[in-house]
Amino acid sequence: MDELEEIKVTFFQECDELLGDLESGLLSIDAGDTEPELVNAIFRAVHSVKGGAGAFGLEALVRFAHVFETLLDNVRGGKTLLESDLVKVLLRAADVLADHVAAAKLGGEGDAAATAAMVEELEAWTSGGPGLAPPSLQADVQPNEDGIVFKPVTLSLPEFEDVPKEQVWTITFQPMDALYARANEAGLLIREIERLGEVEVELLDDALPVFDSLEPETAYFAWKVRLKADVTEEKIREVFEFVEDHCSTTIAREAPPTALVETGPGPDIAAILAAAQAAFTEAEPPPRPQRIEASDTEPVLHAEPATSVVPLAQPATVRASPAPAAEKANQATIRVDPERIDTLIDLVGELVINQAMLAQRVAGHGFAASSDVGRGLDELEQLTRDIQDSVMAIRAQPVKSVFQRMPRLVREIAGLTGKQVRLVTDGENTEVDKTVIERISEPITHMLRNAIDHGLESAEDRAAAGKPPEGTVRLAALHRGGRIVIEVGDDGRGINRPRVRQIAIDRGLIAADAQLTDEEVDNLIFLPGFSTASQVSDISGRGVGMDVVRKSVQGLGGRISISSRPGLGSTFTLSLPLTLAVLDGMVIDVAGQTLVVPLTAIVESLRPAASEVKKLGVQGGVLAVRDAYVPLVDIGRVLGFQTAEINPAEGVVLLVDSEVGGRAALVADSIHGQRQVVIKSLESNYQQVPGIAAATILGDGRVALILDVDALVAMSKREPPRMHEPSIQAAE
Amino acid sequence: MNQPAITVANERRELTSFWAGDQEYCVDIMSVREIRGWSAATPLPQSPSYMRGVINLRGAVLPIMDLAERLDLPPTEPSERSVIIVVQVGERLVGLLVDAVSDILSINPEQIQPTPDVGCDQAKAFVRGLITIDDRMVSEIAVERLLPELESLAA
Repeated sequence: MDELEEIKVTFFQECDELLGDLESGLLSIDAGDTEPELVNAIFRAVHSVKGGAGAFGLEALVRFAHVFETLLDNVRGGKTLLESDLVKVLLRAADVLADHVAAAKLGGEGDAAATAAMVEELEAWTSGGPGLAPPSLQADVQPNEDGIVFKPVTLSLPEFEDVPKEQVWTITFQPMDALYARANEAGLLIREIERLGEVEVELLDDALPVFDSLEPETAYFAWKVRLKADVTEEKIREVFEFVEDHCSTTIAREAPPTALVETGPGPDIAAILAAAQAAFTEAEPPPRPQRIEASDTEPVLHAEPATSVVPLAQPATVRASPAPAAEKANQATIRVDPERIDTLIDLVGELVINQAMLAQRVAGHGFAASSDVGRGLDELEQLTRDIQDSVMAIRAQPVKSVFQRMPRLVREIAGLTGKQVRLVTDGENTEVDKTVIERISEPITHMLRNAIDHGLESAEDRAAAGKPPEGTVRLAALHRGGRIVIEVGDDGRGINRPRVRQIAIDRGLIAADAQLTDEEVDNLIFLPGFSTASQVSDISGRGVGMDVVRKSVQGLGGRISISSRPGLGSTFTLSLPLTLAVLDGMVIDVAGQTLVVPLTAIVESLRPAASEVKKLGVQGGVLAVRDAYVPLVDIGRVLGFQTAEINPAEGVVLLVDSEVGGRAALVADSIHGQRQVVIKSLESNYQQVPGIAAATILGDGRVALILDVDALVAMSKREPPRMHEPSIQAAE
Repeated sequence: MNQPAITVANERRELTSFWAGDQEYCVDIMSVREIRGWSAATPLPQSPSYMRGVINLRGAVLPIMDLAERLDLPPTEPSERSVIIVVQVGERLVGLLVDAVSDILSINPEQIQPTPDVGCDQAKAFVRGLITIDDRMVSEIAVERLLPELESLAA
């Protein structure tokens, strides 16, 4: 990959972030947020996309971004009223912009027809209102929540009016060291000015010292640009918007346009810049400045030119910083190859295991905890934990990046189905390992499609059922039991259980006389080949059913389930492990094996009295815990380590909460204590094992298995086999 | 499957041979990552009996397979002299529990004969070919077919 390509990759990465900012900003405005900074933020996002695209010659993208930006600029300047219809248009324009970026990424251009239509719409708004202006626009001026009255303003836009005369601007631009240090490029900024009109550029090299005192990292050059264009000062200032703290700029208008000195064609900026750059990089005395115009103004930096020039009211550097938040985000981000972080995480995992081994050996040699060695070991343990937490935090990411993509999806599906949908997201700052982030997008997409297509009713049906016409889909993320849980809920009609049951019988998936609980009926939709939509729809039909979703979720070591209430809606619950994370576990002994139970699943551990253990049926049993009976689960038997039953009264019982089966009492032989363990995947060299979440390595170097409490409880209940994850014996 | 045993005509191949259940087998030396002594494995629940469990291979969890039992021979009794041959199968590593390593064979590809049609299904499934050296017959194992793989997930 050559250098330019690499920069391009970075540009597209930034574009994705910017488009995300753009969309979330618009959505906040749509939700009623009137913070003026939001408009600035969305403007900046589009502006930055445009700027970067210009540098790479992505013309189609630049053209569209420009139209978009012009409208946003009007909004920013208060010339166009930001009302809800416009926000909807802007959201769709953001989608088109995203399409353009996506197309440019593949070397193509966005859909021309869609673009043209959107450009027309945007330009209509720019010039004073929507193309097919709703008549209410003028009359509909009402104070918003803050009591601020927005009034529509007639626009005076240069593009659409006969603007009087061309003006000549003199811009001096002196970058500071910091401008280059932040990877900005003077040349790009000057080119940006060139877009505004005809320019003449002069290099000011007065600050250049003699060769011996040349500092390679100091910015010596300044430029004077004469710009002939009918633009406002604001427009020019925008070019320097992102570097205004790192350069000094003066912008002045030459008073009488008639006094203009006619000059030849514009200079070759590239040549000048190349010369300047060569001077920098080779640290050689640069060539004498190329005089490119016979100007009679003095090439002085801050002095007022001889012609009557209006000095700038305020130096650029004094202007209030427009985007403290955005700036901070920029400074806080550093791009690192994910593989390096993976390596670091693996190494820290080894360190943790090694530290545990060391501790065990030291203890074996009879050093007291209060001895020097013991104290040193304590400190080492603390440090190791801190390093581990920090390293894991590097790779943890909020699910926001995935959630941000969903509003667009919902808009599109809503458009296709003709349903009115509102998406509510919750917990988007929930952090999860990057490896999980990358792979949850697809199942979420499927669940959302399903919720809108199958779950929600049409507006008429909803009205008939006494619900608001707009359906609500809720997307939430939370941490529970050492896993990330993602819920997709709708307030639609819920699962039609008799119909689901009938279909399952018709397709031979269950016996006609099968006795199933409501929960089991709901979960029939995950069986292969099951689709409840009577018509195969474009959106969620076509054979890709929930069984595929479940399979891909299981491939991630996750589980998916659905709960439904007729008439009130359904909720999909997706639970995924926080892979490669560290786990606080309870180390237990079962049938001679050492196992780890995730601490998050354990409610309490106790030694039951014989009188509290009750037999139930041939093999089952329950434990009386404070007036409630909790089913006993013999871990050793469920996992097949032993056939004989442990007498719970002689062992230890762990009370756990499971997602599927409620509370259960796990029976073990003994408890060793709590320990932090590093999760090692079984799948990397083998495959998933029922009832086992992962493995870890203990202080003595042996492998211990980490229990999957939910799966274990489910296995103990002996539900119909097809409701389970398939067992390995199937391979035989 | 990223099987390193790409045979080029007239190019000699090297194979590691070993004993399992009184028979001599071999695998391509390129797929052997290391050979180590037996250490007790942590059993895996609900797994085929030929999966002896998992051990710690420098921080990675390595599944151990009893090769003899996988081939439907009597299970290996692990002892001090038992050996684990760590082989690479695609992206994965698996440890094969065998009785002893015997030899490094250097052969011409022509020396490998296709597996004749024998009654034993396991032999047909896992033996890629037969090699005759003097009066010894060594069967080349197709390691990529050994693991139960994702068959069970697809089932």
